[in-house]
Amino acid sequence: MAKFVTIGERIHCISPVIREAMATRNPEPILKRAKEQLDAGATYLDVNIGPAENDGEDLMKWAVKLLQENFDNVPLALDTANKKAIEAGISVYNRAKGKPIVNSADAGGRIENIDLAAANDAIVIALCSAEGIPSDNDERMMYCQNMLERGMGLGMDPQDLWFDPLFLVVKGMQDKQMQVLEAIKMFSDMGLNSTGGLSNNSNGMPKHIRPIMDSALVAMCMMQGLTSAIVNPCDLRLMETIKSCDVFKDNTLYADSYLEI
Amino acid sequence: MPFNQKPQKFNAQINTVTIGSGEKAVTLGGGSTFPFYTFDAPAENAPKVGVEITDMGLEGMSAGIKAYYDGAATMGEIAKKASEMEGADFVALYLEGGDPNGADKSVDELIAIVNEVAAAVDCPLVVEGCKNVEKDAELLPKVAEALQGKNVLILAEKEENYKAIGAAAGLAYNQIVGAESAVDINLAKQLNVVTTQLGVDAKKIVMNVGTACAGYGYEYVASTMDRIKGAALSQNDAMLQMPIITPVASETWSVKEAMASEADMPEWGPQDERGIDMEIMTAAADLAAGSDAVILRHPQSVATISKMIKELV
Amino acid sequence: MALNGIQIFKMTPKKNCKECGCPTCMAFSMKVAQGAMDISACPHMSQEALDALSEATAPPMKTIKVGTGDAEYSLGGETVLFRHEKTFVSKTRYAVKLDCCMDAAAVDAKIEEIKKVDYERIGERMFVEMINVAYCGEHKDNFLDIVKKANETGRILVLDCEDADVAAEALAVCAANKPILNGANASNYEAMSKVATDAGVVLGVSGKDLNELYDTVAALEKSGNKNLVLDVTGASVKEAFGNAVQVRRASVKDQDRTFGYPSIVNLTKVAAGDKYMQAALASVFTMKYGSIVVMDQMTYAEALPIYGLRQNVFTDPQKPMKVEPGIYPLNGADENSLCLTTVDFALTYFVVSGELERSGVPCNLLISDAGGLSVLTAWAAGKLSSSTVAKFIQEEVEPKVKCRKLVIPGKVAVLKGDIEAKLPGWEIIVGPREAVQLVKFLKDMQA
Repeated sequence: MAKFVTIGERIHCISPVIREAMATRNPEPILKRAKEQLDAGATYLDVNIGPAENDGEDLMKWAVKLLQENFDNVPLALDTANKKAIEAGISVYNRAKGKPIVNSADAGGRIENIDLAAANDAIVIALCSAEGIPSDNDERMMYCQNMLERGMGLGMDPQDLWFDPLFLVVKGMQDKQMQVLEAIKMFSDMGLNSTGGLSNNSNGMPKHIRPIMDSALVAMCMMQGLTSAIVNPCDLRLMETIKSCDVFKDNTLYADSYLEI
Repeated sequence: MPFNQKPQKFNAQINTVTIGSGEKAVTLGGGSTFPFYTFDAPAENAPKVGVEITDMGLEGMSAGIKAYYDGAATMGEIAKKASEMEGADFVALYLEGGDPNGADKSVDELIAIVNEVAAAVDCPLVVEGCKNVEKDAELLPKVAEALQGKNVLILAEKEENYKAIGAAAGLAYNQIVGAESAVDINLAKQLNVVTTQLGVDAKKIVMNVGTACAGYGYEYVASTMDRIKGAALSQNDAMLQMPIITPVASETWSVKEAMASEADMPEWGPQDERGIDMEIMTAAADLAAGSDAVILRHPQSVATISKMIKELV
Repeated sequence: MALNGIQIFKMTPKKNCKECGCPTCMAFSMKVAQGAMDISACPHMSQEALDALSEATAPPMKTIKVGTGDAEYSLGGETVLFRHEKTFVSKTRYAVKLDCCMDAAAVDAKIEEIKKVDYERIGERMFVEMINVAYCGEHKDNFLDIVKKANETGRILVLDCEDADVAAEALAVCAANKPILNGANASNYEAMSKVATDAGVVLGVSGKDLNELYDTVAALEKSGNKNLVLDVTGASVKEAFGNAVQVRRASVKDQDRTFGYPSIVNLTKVAAGDKYMQAALASVFTMKYGSIVVMDQMTYAEALPIYGLRQNVFTDPQKPMKVEPGIYPLNGADENSLCLTTVDFALTYFVVSGELERSGVPCNLLISDAGGLSVLTAWAAGKLSSSTVAKFIQEEVEPKVKCRKLVIPGKVAVLKGDIEAKLPGWEIIVGPREAVQLVKFLKDMQA
């Protein structure tokens, strides 16, 4: 099995610093966050430029080149509702370290992002929902099937659709958590890849609690077969948990210094 | 319907490490496929063959090996002949006389031999310690110092003495560091991690992950190399992407099959032939499993393995 | 080889009709993959899909049997590409070549040479199990004579013959011993297949490249012959290696069953006249995917390493390699020579006996039954204890050996007192912890 893929989530326009840097094309804050995440062990970096309706294409190209040139063609997840911006980003993307990820498609209004990924030989994150939260796993799997069929119909390798079960917040939806874990097992039994915004589970919890909840969940998810997650790699406890689980899963060879590499 | 060939592409490769300098320098590693899988991707650097000589001269060598070195009286002359062997890419000097349980030669005495050998050859040089961890910790830093500027491979640091040897060879004197583990993948990786933590460049490390003679627990060797290459390529594990060098000769020329005289084992036939085949077959298995360089003694073995490599890449 | 949900899903009609009781075809596919439902619960599966499914659940590589009785061997049936993933199951078999251009004296000499190598190593008989007899197209009578002679050795024959009529005559002589008829290719496979099936023997197939081989195998399978081995030799060493690996990988990893057969690699063709190169390549093809390797010779020089290598590579990781318990006299030891003991784990035995031989000191190595475990593991498991050692010594050693000095492994020094108590009259000496220290230990002891 391949190592668990962590997608660093900290280049996000929701952060005022990043938003400002993107607006003024100021590399420093973005490079700083990229470096922090890579040093902490992120594999992919997510680049969220927001809706970017006006200059999305230009902004995404700038961001892709900036990050790849400074960090040895680091692989990226291109995250925006603006499809043209994603395509523009892919047009300047270097695949040496991995295919680009289109973040994201769903089974509803954003299903065409699968077509976009297929046309550009990209990976796509496929959110198993159409509108809102799926009511049960039958619904999740129906969406999964729809998206899988669409991708395969367009010639995609099923491995390039990374299914997102839609992680739910514990405070409010505690009773649905096992469903999410079961959905991951179903993806895994199908031989499919999976990912998602795992830290959503701990939204609204005290700051010191969140790493604990996130670590526990990632361990359970990896046991179920989750192959990737979109996380904050600067969360040391979480990253240590992922590295340890990778050892148990035989995804990486143990060495006494495994946490240091 | 033709056969649907599915090349196995890896997004990772073995580090390239150059030993020696000038036009005879050799480069190990660089590939991104399993050994000799040229149908997946063209070979980068073909595996290399080294000729092993020891500070004990020709003592204990087989008749065929002695015959090759006939007329060579000094270590310098032996080394020169070794470097001229057909198929030889480098010379490996094994300082076995340093072993406190053997001849227990002094460090100074051995350094003199190292210098004599280095002066006699123009090909890349590998220096192997005596295998006693305390003695090597004292001896190998001196070797690294004596051969400054020659970019030699120092074999080897082990778990017990990596600080002394790794720091001297890899940092102070800028040589290539050999990291030796005995058929233990976790230790192989760990040694690379701690060596790089000393500050040694990962691309200046070559691994000796251990070997055994064919028939002597070789399954552990095969699986260790399979798993290291697998992790290096399919898991892109940077701490296992160092090329592998395997000193074959010292193992194969010390087992019964290679050592027993024809007088003792008449039905087995000539001793030299047995020694050659044990060396050739073990080296070929090592190369098939993942060695990027092998160290041999007999001229026939060197010629054959070198030819085999050329035919396979 | 089980299919996963997605592979089954690809074959479903994808209608989500719910007639099977599942909400979606995908949910159904998953249940089938887990074994919770049977594929027949779907009323809409096409016959084609059902056939494909049954084919897909068959093992990726066929097990082909050759020979009869004690000399029956399985070839192929592998499920992994690397032994650490599970285990390799069918050992490489080596065949020595005879051909129809050799005169009778040369043939007789070769057969004598073949018979000479016959010994036991860790409970396994090591000998040349197969003989390759090649027909060049000209010396038919000689070929048939050699087939007869070779057949009389009881070794399994691999007949290289592309002429169906001559093959039929040769098989008339030896078919009862279930040889392999290696000679089908793109132009003669129909006739050759008939000869092989009539005689009830395995057919060897070759092609000028992998595509031609693939097509010929597909055609043979279509005609109903699935009792095949694939001659992957090719025009050069590089090609042979590439073919052997790709054929194995296609079947085991990519589940392409057309290539799911054992292989033959003929080293006398790619390394003609170079016995050393053949030795090197025999080793390579033992590591990587040769089911039958044809060589010009197998003397002790080749046999000692290659059979040892094979024994290692094909050992089942679940079963430790053990040597027979007993007294092993080394360096000309007699009943008065020093005794040393260790466990029956093969690797331990070889390392210890090797070092003892290196010392040149006559001694008796006593191996007791320790379940094939290494010294410390056996001690921890109670299989190497003062009682096991004492019992073994009293029952097996005391009647045969006069010396009463016993060296025990340094790692179980703790046993010294107990053994002394149980073996009156014996002097128990604690040996070194590692075998490499034995030479010095014995030297010091003698001094």
